[in-house]
Amino acid sequence: MATTQQVLLSPAELAYLHASLSLTPPIRPDGRAPNLFRPLVAETGILPGTNGSARICFADGTEAIVGVKAEVEKTRGADATEGGEDAEEDNNREGRSEWVELTVEIPGLRDDDSGTAFLSAMLQEALLADGGFARKLWINRRYHWKLYLDILLISPPLSYPLPLLSLTTHLALLATRLPRLKSEGDEDPFFDDDWAAAPYLYPRDKKSSKALARPPVTLLVMAVGRNIIFDPAKEELAVADVALAVSVGEAAETDDDKGKGKGRKLRLLSIRTIDPPSRLTPPGVPNASNAAYGAAGATQKQPEARMAEAEVVEGVWRAPRGGAKPLVMAALVQKALERGGVADEVLDALDGVDLG
Amino acid sequence: MPITINAPSARPNQNPFSDSDSDSESNSPSGGGGPLSDPDGDTSMLPPAANPTTTSSKSPIVTPGEVITSDPQWMRGHGTYLPPHTTSITSSVAGTLTRTNKLLSIRPLRARYTPEVGDLIVGRIVEVQAKRWRVDVGATQLASLPLSAINLPGGILRKRTETDELQIRSFFAEGDLLIAEVQQLFQDGGAVLHTRSLKYGKLRNGVFVAVSGMGGGGGVVRSRRQVWTLEAANGGGLVDVVLGVNGYVWISKHVEMPEAEKGPGAGITNLEESVSATMYSSQNDRIGVETMREIARLRGVVTALVENGLRVDEEMVMKGYHEAVEMSMMAGEGQEDIYLGGERGSQLAAVLTVA
Amino acid sequence: MADRRRINGPPGATIPPIYEDASDKSVVTRQPPRSRPANAIRQTYLKTGVTPSASGSAYLEVEMAGKPGVSGLKLSCTVHGPRSLPRSSLFSPHIILSTHVKFAPFATKQRRGYLRDPTERDLGSHLEAALRGAIIADRWPKSGVDIIVSIIEGDQDRETSRQQGDEAWDMMNTLSGCITVASAALADAGIDCVDTVAGGVAALVRDDADNGKPKIVIDPVPSEHDKIEAACCVAYLPTRDEITNLWFKGDMPDDDMATYMELVQQGIQASKHANRVLVQCIGETVG
Repeated sequence: MATTQQVLLSPAELAYLHASLSLTPPIRPDGRAPNLFRPLVAETGILPGTNGSARICFADGTEAIVGVKAEVEKTRGADATEGGEDAEEDNNREGRSEWVELTVEIPGLRDDDSGTAFLSAMLQEALLADGGFARKLWINRRYHWKLYLDILLISPPLSYPLPLLSLTTHLALLATRLPRLKSEGDEDPFFDDDWAAAPYLYPRDKKSSKALARPPVTLLVMAVGRNIIFDPAKEELAVADVALAVSVGEAAETDDDKGKGKGRKLRLLSIRTIDPPSRLTPPGVPNASNAAYGAAGATQKQPEARMAEAEVVEGVWRAPRGGAKPLVMAALVQKALERGGVADEVLDALDGVDLG
Repeated sequence: MPITINAPSARPNQNPFSDSDSDSESNSPSGGGGPLSDPDGDTSMLPPAANPTTTSSKSPIVTPGEVITSDPQWMRGHGTYLPPHTTSITSSVAGTLTRTNKLLSIRPLRARYTPEVGDLIVGRIVEVQAKRWRVDVGATQLASLPLSAINLPGGILRKRTETDELQIRSFFAEGDLLIAEVQQLFQDGGAVLHTRSLKYGKLRNGVFVAVSGMGGGGGVVRSRRQVWTLEAANGGGLVDVVLGVNGYVWISKHVEMPEAEKGPGAGITNLEESVSATMYSSQNDRIGVETMREIARLRGVVTALVENGLRVDEEMVMKGYHEAVEMSMMAGEGQEDIYLGGERGSQLAAVLTVA
Repeated sequence: MADRRRINGPPGATIPPIYEDASDKSVVTRQPPRSRPANAIRQTYLKTGVTPSASGSAYLEVEMAGKPGVSGLKLSCTVHGPRSLPRSSLFSPHIILSTHVKFAPFATKQRRGYLRDPTERDLGSHLEAALRGAIIADRWPKSGVDIIVSIIEGDQDRETSRQQGDEAWDMMNTLSGCITVASAALADAGIDCVDTVAGGVAALVRDDADNGKPKIVIDPVPSEHDKIEAACCVAYLPTRDEITNLWFKGDMPDDDMATYMELVQQGIQASKHANRVLVQCIGETVG
């Protein structure tokens, strides 16, 4: 499934990790603060043959590359006899979600594996959720751009790859440029050969060269007890009570937002629960019913095993059952979205990456 | 700043060995080809102008196919081969040359752990078979731990019964970590382990770190003491550190083992019975916050040493730990600040290389 | 992935007829807006034990909106298990859950192939997450259970042209139906669960009739509303008050957390309605 990577840890380690992450404040295995991300290396413009590209390496060695290519395609079902004037207005331009094709490739998994399908569906719906993205691909009523986003995970999936792939896609889209249109109206489109004149897909402010609108980014958030933890490592995911993937986008600021305090105006685009691998972990056996606990233990194992299952013994790991309380989930979403919080910082940091 | 994004940088340890090739032909003191032509072994046989690497000793790196010597008096060891119809010992891996008396061997730069008899290792159970377990020790093959090689609870004199085989998972199940010693090696290099000592067995109350894939300068080295206990700072109590030779490290809260001297009537069998009660349990004891914090700090020290290419042994870990405690005091956040990734780790490594 | 075991027709050569929206907007028959109240779900029919050869089975029908007595969504679920894993697989201390969701080729307006496409695998992943929270997995080591949901008819309105429908929102309704029917089949198969899980969908819609003010409705039908801003599908355990799977999609500003929480709460309400149907149906089988 979504987190099929089996993390092989012993029940004693899992119980220790869970106890360590349940403290206030939580002590993460590598000592990070709950909202601290691991340092990563990012660069764009690495593939000159594409319209946009990016590469990100996480500190644990996982690496992803995204390439964006665009091709002109004839729009199906276009009726050229209608009056051409209304089509120029923004409101009547309709983008269709078929104009964006997103594929994810993870080494070692087939492309129709359910984990890969889940990841690509999640990334695609974050991109198309607000309905405005496909509109950018409109050329005229008969033609549109078809955008191919190819997301490759280079390293084997050691940890859940969703945040890595989402950040790399975000950077690649920020760096994507489409050739400048020289034709007019509904005639067959032709474009300016000069690549330097090509505008960015996400238009940038001319003075500060900062992007005015931004593609979405997906964060992985998990909770253990009352603690909310960002950018979990795979050992931390293995003891999670609940894990969510939250996709956040940025809306353009309108005038009445300017006074509302620091931070960007974020938009919540999609949320999916991630099945944490903690449900696939082996249970620990407490001292009392361990058959190896003294010679006498072997004979009385059977009835006590059933009883022991019902109690939660401190220091013994048990895979979580049931789901998560709605309030806990809402707290996770709120923490991810707060103004000046983690989503803001991530978008800021990605902004600072030089678009080569 | 919760997230730091760095631009890609060149790897720091690049040291082009451009000079050593041209010098080896011209500067060999006597004929006979190759850098090793001094039969007595008294003088340094290396080209005088060879560039030393930053991390390893003075010997140059040899590459696969490079002839080391044609002198028939040398015996060949690991990492070399003899092409047919010649007597030239040729390297088969990329690494550094080592010689012990008349034996020439080449230690690869990056290599998987190869088990030797008597190694103390930390391993993880990956398979449970009929009368033995298969253990991942980071070597090319899974090691095996036979059911007859573990201490059965109930003392030395307890006989192994069919019930034990049927309930083999009650001793070790998949995913469990254990300390063991390599008892013997199969002919193909696979190891056979045993845990027949009170200090071996299932591990709990702590965290696991894997330090692997670094031969040569970094990684866990075989040293005098692989297991030790230290007194953690900030009220953390006693913490055990186990550096498995295979690069698997275990850091945990110290668990008191009853001493052999306690009590007048305590014989060997009584001792084993009392200890073995908890031997195969996966229940953790209650561990205090300060201990957990110090364990996390130690883990960060080990990871920082690995990331910066330093060797991992008792001395470096202890120095690193004391440095880390001081760094956290000076950084102003006090004992709560235990993060040692990224820049902090590089700072720590820089302090340790200087010292 | 090409399907080499069957003789398929030429790929891509046939384009289905595309019905234009009439250029005169007034002629287009708008679907009648939603008649049931905002907090009512459509009539649901659920029966277990329909496939005797399987360990457990269930069948679900949901009526079509605007046409009482005609059903729009038809789902069938069969559960095989718990059965032992093949000898070659590794030891597993928990039951291994595998879910398959498949649209029948004639289920939707655009014909689907015989092999599962990514949308169906995505639904399967959601279903697996929803059910894994309900099943007591460590009671069945070294076992596996197969849950197969066949969507016989998808929840689509025949009258609307393809231009108007957006399949993405239909998937949420389908998913909530899959969760409910799979839960009934699991109970029929006698697999231990902590609670019955049922699916519910709530949406934030905008209608011209209300002057464009957004409101929250449960069990939404996309053709009944002018625009759906956001929707969420919730798999909920009523006795434990826990959510096992949450799928939210749409566009919502961040300072509107109250609307988001209300949307999730309404989704939980929809799930509770479906759960009542579920519990009643299971009770009828036994009694």
